[in-house]
Amino acid sequence: MVHVPRLRLAARLRDGSTLFILGGYLISILYAIIILVPIYYVAISAFKTNRTIFTQPLALPETFTFDNFVRAQKVAVLDRAFLISTGVTVGAEILTLLLAFPAAYAIARIPTRLSSLFEYVFSLGFLIPALAMLVPVYLLVVRIGLLYSPMALVIFYPATKISVSVILLASYLRTVPKELEESAQMDGASRLQMIRHIFFPIARPGVITVLILNFIDFWNEFLFALVMLNQRNRTLQIALTVIKTDRSLDYGLVAAGIVIVVVPVCILFILFQEQIVRGMYTGAVKG
Amino acid sequence: MQIRLTGHSEGELSASSAQHSTIRRNQWRRRVAFLAFGVPAMVWFLVWMLWPLINMFRISLLRWDGLVKASTFIGLANYQRMFTDDLFFYAMRNTGIHLLFGMPLALIPAFFLGFFMSLRLPGFRAFRFIFFIPAMVSVAALAMMFYGIYMPEGILNAVLRLLGLSAWTHNWLADPKTVFGSIIFIDIWTGIGFYAVLFFAVLSNLPNELYESARLDGASLWTILWRIAFPLSKGFFGVVTMLHFLWILTSAAQNVLILTKGGPGHYSLTLGYYLYNQAFVTQRLGYSQAIGVFLFIVGMVGLVIIRQIFRQTD
Repeated sequence: MVHVPRLRLAARLRDGSTLFILGGYLISILYAIIILVPIYYVAISAFKTNRTIFTQPLALPETFTFDNFVRAQKVAVLDRAFLISTGVTVGAEILTLLLAFPAAYAIARIPTRLSSLFEYVFSLGFLIPALAMLVPVYLLVVRIGLLYSPMALVIFYPATKISVSVILLASYLRTVPKELEESAQMDGASRLQMIRHIFFPIARPGVITVLILNFIDFWNEFLFALVMLNQRNRTLQIALTVIKTDRSLDYGLVAAGIVIVVVPVCILFILFQEQIVRGMYTGAVKG
Repeated sequence: MQIRLTGHSEGELSASSAQHSTIRRNQWRRRVAFLAFGVPAMVWFLVWMLWPLINMFRISLLRWDGLVKASTFIGLANYQRMFTDDLFFYAMRNTGIHLLFGMPLALIPAFFLGFFMSLRLPGFRAFRFIFFIPAMVSVAALAMMFYGIYMPEGILNAVLRLLGLSAWTHNWLADPKTVFGSIIFIDIWTGIGFYAVLFFAVLSNLPNELYESARLDGASLWTILWRIAFPLSKGFFGVVTMLHFLWILTSAAQNVLILTKGGPGHYSLTLGYYLYNQAFVTQRLGYSQAIGVFLFIVGMVGLVIIRQIFRQTD
C-alpha cells in the first residue's frame, strides 16, 4: 500500500486546522508517553535490584544484573512453563489449521446449500464470550479426564478460533479464479491434488495471518489455562502471576517474568505488524 | 405412429434421466465432499462452543455446591437469589460504572487518534506502532505491569512525587476510593490504542479525493472528522463499540481476578469476576452460571441496542 500524504502543507496551514493538528500531535505524543513509560519501567526493573526499583524507579540501572531472571526461574519454574506454553500453542495451532482449512475450502469452493448454513453457525462464535463457557468447558474437561493436562488446552483452544480462522481463510480461497480450478479438473486432478497445488499456495498469506493471530491468542490466554492446569503443568502466563503472590514485593522478579512472557509476541509484532493489524481489522469487519 | 412416438419419447426420457442422474450423482458427491471437509470443524465448534453455552443455561437451574457434590434441580431459585444478594447488586453497579466510563473514554479518543493518523502526517507510522503495543501484551503481563504502576512504591506515585504532588499519592489498589478507577483505567489505556489503529485501518480505505475536495470547499479538519469520516465509518464504529462492550462485560474480569479479587471489600467486584468467584472460590456452580446467563442476556441486548444506534443510514 502506498501512503500518500492526504493534505498538502500549504493547504493545511491556511485555516484553523493548524490548531487541530497541533492538538493531534499533543494528544498522540502524550498517549505514546503513557504507553512507553510503563514499558520502559518494566524493562529496566528486570535488570535492577529491588531496592533501586523502589528508591529510583525511573533511573537506568548502574550495573545490569541478570539475577532477577535466575531467581524468577527458581520461584516459578519458568523453563518448564515456557515449554508447556510452547507445546500448547504449537499443538493448538496445528489442530486449528487442520480443522479450519478444510472447512474454509468446503465453504468457499464446494457449492451446496450447506455452505451458508455452516457459515452462519460458525459466525455465531463471535457472539459467545469466553467467560460464558468457562464453567461448562471446565466440567467437560473433567468428564473426559483431561483436567490438569495441557492436552485439554490443545483440544479446547482451536474451538475458540475456528470462527475467525474459517472466515479469514475462506475469503482468501474465494480469490482463486474458477477457470484455474476447471482446467485442473480437465487435466484429471483430484480434489486433494488441487488443494495441495492450487488452493494452499494461493491461500498461503491467509494461512500465515491466521497462524500469527492464533499464536498471539493461544500464547496469551490466561483464564482457561488458570482453571484447567495445576502447579506442575502451568503455562507461562500463570507462572507469571505466581511470582507476585510468592514474593509480593520483589518487583524485579515480576519484571523479569513479564519480559520473558512478552518477548515471543513482541518479535512477531515487529516482524508482522502489517499482517496482524490487517488480520484483526478483517476479523472485526467480518464478525 | 403412437408406438414410435412413445418409443421416441421413451428414448428421450431415458437419455434425460441419465443426464439427470449424473447431475444428481454429482450433487450427491459434492455434498459428501463438503461434509467430509466441513464436519470436523463443525463438530469441534458444536462440542466446545455451542454445547457449553447451552450447558450454562442448564447448570443455572441446579443447586450444585462443588464438583464432588451431587446436583439437584431447583428451577429458577438461583435467579431469585440475585434479587436478595447484596454482592450481586454491588457487582452490577460496578459493571455499570465500568461501561459508563470505560466505553466513551476509550472509544472517543481512539476515533480522534485514528482520524489524526489517517491524515498521514509525519510520524503517523511511529504512532501506529506504539499505539498497538498494548494490544499485543497478554492480560497477565499487563496486570503485572499495572501492579508495578499502582503499588505504593510504584511509578505512578514516583511520578506524582516528582511533580511535587505528594498529596495525590495513594495505595491505588488498596484504597476503596481509587481501586475501581485504577481497574477501569487499564482497559482505557489498552483500548484507545488498539481501537485507534482499527479506526485508522477503516479510514485509510476512504478515497483521498473525499478529503481533498472537502478541503477545497474550505472545510476544516473538525468538519471533515464530523461530516465525512464519522458518518462514513459509523457502521464500523458500531462494530468496535460492540467489541469493547463485550470486553468490559466479560474479559475485563481477568484484571480484577489477578489484581484485586474484587477487593478491598466489594469495591472492585464486577459481574464477570463474581461469576468466576462463585464457580471456583465459593463453589456455587449453579449460581455462578445464573450470573453467566444474566451476563449473556445483558450482552445480547446490549449488542442489539448498539447495532440500532450505529446503523449506517445511507
